[in-house]
Amino acid sequence: MNNPEFIRSRWFEDIPVGEFHVFGSHSFTEKEIIEFGKKYSPEAFHTSPEAAFDTEYRGLVAAELHLAAIWMKLMVAYMERFATGVQDGRRNGAGVSVRDMQWFKPVRPGHTITFTYEICEKLDRRVRDKWGIIRSRNEGFNQNNERVFSFEIDILAELAPTPDSAS
Amino acid sequence: MDNWQNLQVGQVFETDTITLSKRDILEFAAEFDPQPYHLETEAAEASIFGGLCASGWQVCALMTRLVSDTFKNHGIAIQGIQTIPNLQWKIPVFADDSLCANVVIADCKKDQGLLVCDIAVKNQHQKVALVLSMTLRVGAQSIGSKSL
Repeated sequence: MNNPEFIRSRWFEDIPVGEFHVFGSHSFTEKEIIEFGKKYSPEAFHTSPEAAFDTEYRGLVAAELHLAAIWMKLMVAYMERFATGVQDGRRNGAGVSVRDMQWFKPVRPGHTITFTYEICEKLDRRVRDKWGIIRSRNEGFNQNNERVFSFEIDILAELAPTPDSAS
Repeated sequence: MDNWQNLQVGQVFETDTITLSKRDILEFAAEFDPQPYHLETEAAEASIFGGLCASGWQVCALMTRLVSDTFKNHGIAIQGIQTIPNLQWKIPVFADDSLCANVVIADCKKDQGLLVCDIAVKNQHQKVALVLSMTLRVGAQSIGSKSL
């Protein structure tokens, strides 16, 4: 069941509570922090190293949603390696909601963030009788092992076919 | 010009509108969320979303842009996001959809320099695509309590 080759094609029933993965790391560059900031969070501390120095942050910091986007990038890279075995390769992954997203410390150019997730709950709710909901706890830690980012996300996972539903 | 300390709980802001092109969707997806339903029309049509749609994180990032610009126009400078206590993606955002956000001031914690906003991002059909609550740092005291 924990064979990672099938991680993305697992049915709802096959995903175990307590499963824990360290799934990727990313080093933030000044260039990408500025690019993201200019597009989505044009505050000085996200867009200009010089102007950022005169803010409370005393330097450039990554936009909060940039952390979330990088989390997604690493998660997809990790999951897509295992997207085998079914027609579209994916029986789980579409996000429906997020809880308690928090940022604890600024992420600056040169910082390396390592991301983890743990499957923490399988909800009773069903979506269109086809999907169940998997809740995971996700965290990001910097190069000093300080937690900088955390949240819970609920994703859809397809229910395994029953004998009745087999076509 | 408004200032965050003068904001009233219940006060409502409508942001500008931003239109998302197919190219915008593909560019963001290629960099941050390269899954078939954000990249390939055919695979997307066969997926749960029913068509090529934007990454949910792109919609979130655009929401922060809309809120930032609107508050800036009212003389309120965002110093960062403290938390997003809850967020739901309600319907997909497709190419050429136009999004705007409705921002309600749910709480103003003057002693902490925090602003709690209830936000709904709607498309051109007035359907809510994204709904969330977000606590923004707007006062200097909110930074002072954060280890930099």
